[in-house]
Amino acid sequence: MSEITLTINGKQCKGKQGDTVLEVCLANGIDVPTLCHYKGLADIAACRMCLVEVEKERKPVPACAYPARDGIVVTTNSEKIEKYRRLVLELLFTERNHLCAYCVASGDCELQSMAYKYQMDNARYQYAWPNQITDSSHPNLVIDHNRCILCGRCIRTCDEITGAHVLDFGKRGWKTNVCADINQPLGESSCISCGGCFQACPTGAIFSKISAYRGRPSECTSVESTCSICGVGCSINGLVKNNRLVRIDSPDMTKPRGLLCEIGRFEPLYDAADRITTPLKRNSKGQLVSCSYDEAIEAIAKKLGASGGVAGLASGKASTESLKAFAELMEKLGSKLVDTLDGDDCRTISQGIAKFDGKAGLDMEARLEDILTADSIVVIGAYPTKTHPVIGSYVMRAASKNKAQLIVIDPLRNPFSFRASVWLKPPEGKKETVINALGKSVVDHLSAKASADKGKYVKAFKDTDIKKAAKDLGVDMHDMVKAGEILAASKNSVIIYGSGVLQYKDAAMVATILNLAALVGDKPRIISLKRYGNSRGAWELGLAKSTVSVAADLAKGKAKGLYLLMADDLTNTQALADGMKGVEFSVVQASYRSPVTEKADVVLPSLLWTESKGSYTSIDGISKKTVPLVKANPAIKPDAETLKEVAKQLKK
Amino acid sequence: MAKVKVATVWLESCAGCHMSFLDVDEFIIDLSKLVEFRRSPITDIKGFDDVTVGIVEGSVGNEEEKEVIEELRHHCKILMALGDCACFGGVCAMRNTLAKEDVLKRAYINTPSTYKGKIPKAPGVPELLDKVYPANQIVKVDCYVPGCPPEPEAIKYGLTELLAGRIPVVPSNIMRFD
Repeated sequence: MSEITLTINGKQCKGKQGDTVLEVCLANGIDVPTLCHYKGLADIAACRMCLVEVEKERKPVPACAYPARDGIVVTTNSEKIEKYRRLVLELLFTERNHLCAYCVASGDCELQSMAYKYQMDNARYQYAWPNQITDSSHPNLVIDHNRCILCGRCIRTCDEITGAHVLDFGKRGWKTNVCADINQPLGESSCISCGGCFQACPTGAIFSKISAYRGRPSECTSVESTCSICGVGCSINGLVKNNRLVRIDSPDMTKPRGLLCEIGRFEPLYDAADRITTPLKRNSKGQLVSCSYDEAIEAIAKKLGASGGVAGLASGKASTESLKAFAELMEKLGSKLVDTLDGDDCRTISQGIAKFDGKAGLDMEARLEDILTADSIVVIGAYPTKTHPVIGSYVMRAASKNKAQLIVIDPLRNPFSFRASVWLKPPEGKKETVINALGKSVVDHLSAKASADKGKYVKAFKDTDIKKAAKDLGVDMHDMVKAGEILAASKNSVIIYGSGVLQYKDAAMVATILNLAALVGDKPRIISLKRYGNSRGAWELGLAKSTVSVAADLAKGKAKGLYLLMADDLTNTQALADGMKGVEFSVVQASYRSPVTEKADVVLPSLLWTESKGSYTSIDGISKKTVPLVKANPAIKPDAETLKEVAKQLKK
Repeated sequence: MAKVKVATVWLESCAGCHMSFLDVDEFIIDLSKLVEFRRSPITDIKGFDDVTVGIVEGSVGNEEEKEVIEELRHHCKILMALGDCACFGGVCAMRNTLAKEDVLKRAYINTPSTYKGKIPKAPGVPELLDKVYPANQIVKVDCYVPGCPPEPEAIKYGLTELLAGRIPVVPSNIMRFD
């Protein structure tokens, strides 16, 4: 891109062709006040705070929307311009009900600090006092239209970053308002609750219910960490006041894995589950009572060391460090029954990969960011908007921004269905048939050269009778053909599959999906959605190398003892607890009371991810570290330390 | 040198601005040497005589307040709006998004603790205006010290500037709207 030179406030400033005047100003350290401008979002010149004078222009122009050209002369700080800016502020204040004395954002409001900057001690205009509503129908967020300046930052975040495009301007002119969907209450809209709008809002128009009165961001300390709840691994900024999480923000929403979701942004703030704060063991009456670490570990060493056939189960929510210590403990116990809670998924995926290319490496899986550059995306039995919402956003962004063609294979409606170019609805349990038929359809549409190049993969689908399959499945043949055409023409396709596929524990189905992926584009790009934040980390440590599900074995009474590392996992606890019936002596290490801890003979407390330091491996194999956001209860030891202590005592 | 005559009034507001004025601490001693308060909510003097500086706390929401501020404007050379209510409408302006009748009904009839309520209407009870107005929408205002309440520093700054013969504009670092 060619360099341009313009004069700003009498200074020669360099910029690139295609930059706006605002971008050149910011790059050259020239301060221009803005409200509707937000780094990484398209500029819409809504607020008019960035007005500047450009020589030969009849009137002031908004710097954020005015293209910088070689040789133009710009003034950003003349008296006239500053007067206009103050005028704009007064208009903004009189347009709606901006009364700081009872606004949640007071002290952290960009509009307010702008008014301070311009010493706006009164407004010369008639106040409009519009009767705006406050929409608090959403579980996490409130939209107070009284405070809205219609800058559109929430709308652009919702569209460009989250990809949901739930929010938009509704009505016209004087009545313009931020609307969800077709002017529905936010709580009843298709909002995915990612909270991006709340972070982007410059005023108190959108705020989080739980953060609202916990403290102002300016009073908080900010801790940079990684969210470890799902396997995406988003960077987060935890804002903490008095050792309490006030809110979780993204350090930069426009960066990959920076957008955050409902789970990461809000879940750690609502910590209502019953925490375990001391070790517990059964007394003579069989009740669980608090005891010291020493007593608990002594009981474990005595009973667990003695009972043969100890099973070890770990949740993928634990950090790599804890899982490593767990693996060492299991080795010391000589246990052959070691598994993760999602071990079946690991076996299905790795056996599928082995069937496909003879190796069982997760390394062949694609990076999550590949979704953003894909020109076609196939979603098979995966519900990322629920389980991994950031991946869901990536898909929606690719579909809306890159016009990526979306093919959904699922019997159930999900948020992608209506965005999809093709939605194939096989009956429950018939996914493999439809994938085979789709593979054949792709083969039919491949160019001769591509068919020759991909001979090996073409062969896998050759014998499928696509017409019969479509008829059996009740899938429209046109859809099948269209999907085949899209994928055959695609250069850069990503296939995402998840629980809807893995639930069948069928490695052949995974291999078929991989084969389909290999037919499309230059290389197979595949992403499997793993259940826990550190599932992949646990699998890579070899914790899931058992050939059968240990959790299922437990129910069959194959183990006498059990060591269960739950960490802060609360999923499927009832089923696990039912499986524990056949076990004589069980140890559970967990953060929360659950049916599992109620069944245990000894319970050891465990820290939350927000309280501890640890490494987590994302779905696509990137190792990320968490930093404690809040100080933990000093009575609770870190998981790895506890596990090492247990291992040490076993020796005696 | 004769003392500068000052009159302050308390209109529709919580009196917090006057309280904040008392928070200027020992400055009040210096001030008392320079100014003479001809009227204030503290002195309980009812009428006005001609003063140099008029200070208004509170917004204008009924007939009486309108009368008072108009009279103050008539009797003072410089009028200062003190606090968010006088500058912008403030908390009192919350009612502005509703119709006057609804506000009265809500206050005197629909409150859960009210039994057989009725809207007071008697000679001597001032009528509500249709809306609550900041001071500058009723009379000409010369300077403003916003805040809810204003920082004592800002009040001190405003008065010092006025006594020095300048029209104060509160600097950004001590200006507050909350």
